[in-house]
Amino acid sequence: MNLPRQKLVVEDLRLGYWSRRSHSFSLACDGLSFDVAENEFVAIVGPSGCGKTTFLTALAGLTPVTSGRLELNGEQIEGPAPDRSLVFQHASLYPWRNVVANIEFGLKAQKRLDRRGRARVAELIDLVGLTGKEDTYPRELSGGMSQRVNLARALATDPDLLLLDEPFSALDAQTRELMQDELTRIWQSDGAGTGKTAVFITHDVPEAVFLADRVVVFSSGPARLVEIVDVRLPRPRGSEIKRTPQFQEIHDHILDLVMSQTQPGRRAAPHDSNAPVAG
Amino acid sequence: MTATHLSPDSTRTVAAPPARRRRTSGNRHLNLFLGVIGLAAVLALWQICAVTGIVDPNFSSSPSGAFTALVDSISTGAVWDPLGSTLSIVAWGMLISVVVAIPAGLLIGRNRILYGLTDPLISIMYSVPYVVFLPMLIFWFGIEMNARIVIVVWSALFPLLINVIAGARNLESSHMQVAKVFCASRVMTLRSVAFPATLPYILAGVRQAVGRALIGAIVAELFMGSAGLGYQVQLQTSNFEMDDAMASIAVIAVVAIVLTRGVAYLERRFTFWSGSD
Repeated sequence: MNLPRQKLVVEDLRLGYWSRRSHSFSLACDGLSFDVAENEFVAIVGPSGCGKTTFLTALAGLTPVTSGRLELNGEQIEGPAPDRSLVFQHASLYPWRNVVANIEFGLKAQKRLDRRGRARVAELIDLVGLTGKEDTYPRELSGGMSQRVNLARALATDPDLLLLDEPFSALDAQTRELMQDELTRIWQSDGAGTGKTAVFITHDVPEAVFLADRVVVFSSGPARLVEIVDVRLPRPRGSEIKRTPQFQEIHDHILDLVMSQTQPGRRAAPHDSNAPVAG
Repeated sequence: MTATHLSPDSTRTVAAPPARRRRTSGNRHLNLFLGVIGLAAVLALWQICAVTGIVDPNFSSSPSGAFTALVDSISTGAVWDPLGSTLSIVAWGMLISVVVAIPAGLLIGRNRILYGLTDPLISIMYSVPYVVFLPMLIFWFGIEMNARIVIVVWSALFPLLINVIAGARNLESSHMQVAKVFCASRVMTLRSVAFPATLPYILAGVRQAVGRALIGAIVAELFMGSAGLGYQVQLQTSNFEMDDAMASIAVIAVVAIVLTRGVAYLERRFTFWSGSD
């Protein structure tokens, strides 16, 4: 069998943190095991507060691993490193830097803002659709535009692993749809023909199905693995794919898994005709 | 007119983030126009009272007399020495305050133990009117130029320090996270994240400090007279030269406005990005 190279290995991972208020250890993730292949786009869905964001911050190196393996390219993640970038939930742009300077921040921090770095930034501005906004300051940007800068800033350092923390959750419905389209387009066209390895956190099931190669479903907290769902939809994908029966089928299956986590009573329930429908 | 800028702030309103006031230019022009009208009305009333003898201009001076005295002091050059003296101690006092308060404030704001240790002390020093320390300061430092600078620093340091500490404590954790994720060095985080993020607070602190520094300088000159505009006012008033005293006060008013407006300009220039973000 021709296995693709495993980029990210998660094995028996346990994450938690000391709560300052209650002086106790709260477990965020427990016994997680799965792999992410090179150039794969994996979405993680789960009920709110289940620990998926903690998992992502551990990948970013901001939360220490309690126990288990969390390896990128065969090396345990022990802190932030230039091989990973995070697209923040709220754009978290520096208001005193204009669009270009915000995108350049990562490169500057890693002392890579040379001619090639600047060329990369210029290319990204074009790719994410910020041409003409280079000198704009964040407070003049709309939510969607801010997230484009946020995304470009993460891509600028050319990371091995791109982490996205519900980047579209604060956007209105139309902008969100648009940004999902844009993200697939950007992901499909950035890099030499193949997309970057990406882990995308969301609680929006259609978003996960639309964007991902595989969707990992987390249980309610502490997060355990419920199921990994293959999304066998062709690429490149356009938004029209959301209206196909294959999309619906995968979507409904994942939504059922997520709902059974939020409402344990629903676990055995048959297909609900009132379940929200994508699109 | 200068009272709004110079009155000692007795309440701790400084911790609030400096909000950017955005006025339409039409409104601003209207306000300027109304302000000039109001000022002119008060001056006219004063002049009428002085001319008609309702008040004795020997005690109250009069706008025309004060204006003549002002023109005189400028044409003879008598105004420059005291003005220079006052400005130089304000400048030295501010320089020392800025150099001390910004690094100290950043340090205290970022360190919980230092903050806990110093917070009550700084609050007390900020709240107690520094004027009560004046006799003691004269006792300790004498009435030389150095002693006056001590008083200016004493009055300017604490509002600035409190603002810088508030700024350093209110650093958005998301801003620090971005720096961490992209592996920014400590130096870069301090210079490119912590410092610009604190700048609105620093400049708001400088604006308050400049006002208080000027009060400190004038009060010091009134009490420890040997030079400066405060000393001049004191001297002229004792000699019943009311017109000259009023002229000196007008010079102080101009200095106060120029200083606070100057800092307000710096705020607009360097923190235009703050506000709604």
